[in-house]
Amino acid sequence: MESLNLAHAHLLLNHLPTIGFAIALFVYIGGFFTTSDSLRKAGLVLFFLVAVMAIPTYVTGGAAERTLCPEMKCPPDVSAQLIRNHEDLALLAFVLMETTGFFAWLALWQLRKSSQIAGWNWTVVLLFSIVSVGAMALAAGEGSEIRHPELLDAAEASLPVVGESEPTGIAKSIGAVVAGNTGIGWIWPAAETVHFIGLCMLFITVLVVDLRLLGMAKGLSFKSLYQLLPLGMLGFLLNFITGMLFFLAAPGQYVNNVEFHRKVVLIVLAGINVLYFMLVDETWAVGPDDEAPMRTKIAAVLAIFLWIGILYYGHMLPFLGNAF
Amino acid sequence: MIEFLKWLENTGFSTWIRESPSIFAFPTILLLHTVGMALCVGISAGINFRILGFAPGLRLSPMNKLFPILWLGFWMNAITGTMLVMQDATNKLTNLDFFIKMIFIALALVVLRRIRNRVLSNPQVDSTPLSSDARALAYLSLLFWIGAITCGRLLAYVSPLIEVT
Repeated sequence: MESLNLAHAHLLLNHLPTIGFAIALFVYIGGFFTTSDSLRKAGLVLFFLVAVMAIPTYVTGGAAERTLCPEMKCPPDVSAQLIRNHEDLALLAFVLMETTGFFAWLALWQLRKSSQIAGWNWTVVLLFSIVSVGAMALAAGEGSEIRHPELLDAAEASLPVVGESEPTGIAKSIGAVVAGNTGIGWIWPAAETVHFIGLCMLFITVLVVDLRLLGMAKGLSFKSLYQLLPLGMLGFLLNFITGMLFFLAAPGQYVNNVEFHRKVVLIVLAGINVLYFMLVDETWAVGPDDEAPMRTKIAAVLAIFLWIGILYYGHMLPFLGNAF
Repeated sequence: MIEFLKWLENTGFSTWIRESPSIFAFPTILLLHTVGMALCVGISAGINFRILGFAPGLRLSPMNKLFPILWLGFWMNAITGTMLVMQDATNKLTNLDFFIKMIFIALALVVLRRIRNRVLSNPQVDSTPLSSDARALAYLSLLFWIGAITCGRLLAYVSPLIEVT
């Protein structure tokens, strides 16, 4: 297994967001023209799934860079400037994709609640997904040039391959601000605080919904518990944003940190678990004092373990891993 | 007083928490403190959001049944919090930030009791509109918990008032 490293993981994953989002967009627009609800829903599910998979794709990029350029020193045939350009475009595409994923989830949520997607949200998902596909294609193009210098066009090929000064990009600049290198010291601690508040919001939703599924607090109906879900998603969003700020500020603490890898894998699994709950109807049809079906109970237990696992590995970053 | 803090910090138990390489010492205690926070503040925040109008279909009275988990989280944090303060007593107990955190927690608990006794335990809670007092309590509760979490997080960054050598 030693020959398989995270750079390979990045190469394996990196086609998924580009192709996946293009397919999702195709299905979503197809659903609009054929006015097929199931096709539209399939498009939303694909947007959400690909947005989840984009997380490991983005974070393995840092490891790929460190494989190509050990100790941040690039060999003569690898352009550090190209890597920065790729990183910046990838960050832009990633932000747009995750935004699409969030609104796609919200649309799925609205579909069950009022059996239609709110008009504004339909447009939001459409616009964000189109811009995402564009940004992703640019990022992928720039990325492919890193290892395929023959694809470079003449203007880019004439750029000096090894620069004297360390090239910087948008991602690196944001990271420097968050890390406090520009003299603003409070951003990292503030982001940590928000990360903990987001954790509480996410955790309450997971616990109240899943413990009710397991039989606790009967009297709460599933139909009404369903209204609680956006609170958890909002908590996740806060934690995703602040988490990415940490990643940008100190990528070295995360890219080769095994605890972080485990955390990301669990986040992907938790995303699939969330999707399961978004798609099954039997859960949300259960009355206030009824038992939930067995399948749902198993998914609920998994959810609790997954989220506690995510909290555990996040917490152990500095203790078992090499962070801080 | 400083002598007492030094003694507290150097008891066998404190030293074990601080210096043991075991994953079950400091890392696990801090982990339990975070999980306890999620249970206690999380459930409290959920109830507050519901009072403020979020998820209006959710009935409030069954939420009383969630209190055992909330208290489990609270006592987990009271115990692990004491351990975490002990092992670094000369820094934590001389830090103004720590005492502000304790005040926030005390206020949050007072408000929580009021929410439980005046809002959730009211048999008509789900059949009559919620009073403006209930909403005020929910806002206060969120404010105090956010204050407590912020001060807690900042303990890692704010230096104590007196330097104990």
